[in-house]
Amino acid sequence: MSSRDLESYRSGQPAQLADVLERVLDKGIVIAGDIQINLLDIELLTVKIRLLIASADKAKEMGIDWWQSDPFLSGGNGQGKLDKRLRALEEKVGLPTSDEEES
Amino acid sequence: MVEAQAALDLEPSLELVREGRLAGVASRVSLAEFDESALAERLGDAVWVEEKIRLHEQVLERVLAATTVLPCRFCTVYRAEADLRRFLSERQEALAAALTEVAGRVELGVKAFVDPERFEAGGAQENEQIRELTTQAAAAEGGRAYLESRRLERLVSDERARFGQEAASQLHRRLLGPAERGVLLDLQRPELSGRDEEMVLNSAYLVSDRPGFERELAALARELSERGIELELTGPWPPYNFVSEELRA
Repeated sequence: MSSRDLESYRSGQPAQLADVLERVLDKGIVIAGDIQINLLDIELLTVKIRLLIASADKAKEMGIDWWQSDPFLSGGNGQGKLDKRLRALEEKVGLPTSDEEES
Repeated sequence: MVEAQAALDLEPSLELVREGRLAGVASRVSLAEFDESALAERLGDAVWVEEKIRLHEQVLERVLAATTVLPCRFCTVYRAEADLRRFLSERQEALAAALTEVAGRVELGVKAFVDPERFEAGGAQENEQIRELTTQAAAAEGGRAYLESRRLERLVSDERARFGQEAASQLHRRLLGPAERGVLLDLQRPELSGRDEEMVLNSAYLVSDRPGFERELAALARELSERGIELELTGPWPPYNFVSEELRA
């Protein structure tokens, strides 16, 4: 590529996560594997990402933080997982679980 | 295929599963990580998803650098090598046809943005009403000056939206020239694109003549740059957006 071309448009940067996501999640041949992500799960993940993006305030929070820090997107893994483990431990030692205490 | 093998030597966990004229690129994974129930949970783990998605893409890019490749949907898992072989031999004809369609071609992505300041100084000044109002607003004083400048702001913003759409369709039409095929993708919000400017075009092209395509893109960039358009080229990508319909579910 000539230097003139380099000046007129941007290229050659490492791929943006967004560009990879829109291809890897939405596109590509869908073949019948023995185990495959349920298409609904993929859809849900994409919808979650889009919803999250719609509500994100600052571009600076993007990168990876934007979905790591969001309880909606990382749901079931971060806090949810901790809660589950805590409940299991409480049951094991015969304590009332945090759920019961709350209700 | 020999070329693909050489590319894979760089990544020890990858295997080339040959079946007739075709080969699948695979790696062995643990069921604890990839079984259906485990997968459902993993998908909620952003760190895991990003890592695996990036890896999926890197492997495809590595193979793409050496030979023609058809990208599979992320996380396509077979329980045994024999199952993968059966798929390759049963769908041999369709896979070969799909490979022929993309052989010697790559997917290139193009994104266009409108820089608001450059648009106001450039593209917006082509509009007579905006030029007149600019003069009026500059001459006005006090409360009227405020109202005029607000009116001008709205007018420029409407004109920018109109110009963005017009530029996007012009870009797409012109880029289809040196490309075999092209598709429009969803526009990305600034939070996703990582750029403050508004995205007006997100598209992908199947290209065999890369220098020709890049020349046209450079020409467009020069033509539209003063009016506020900024262009970005991504790829080469494996042909995600151009895999044969019949291979899709």
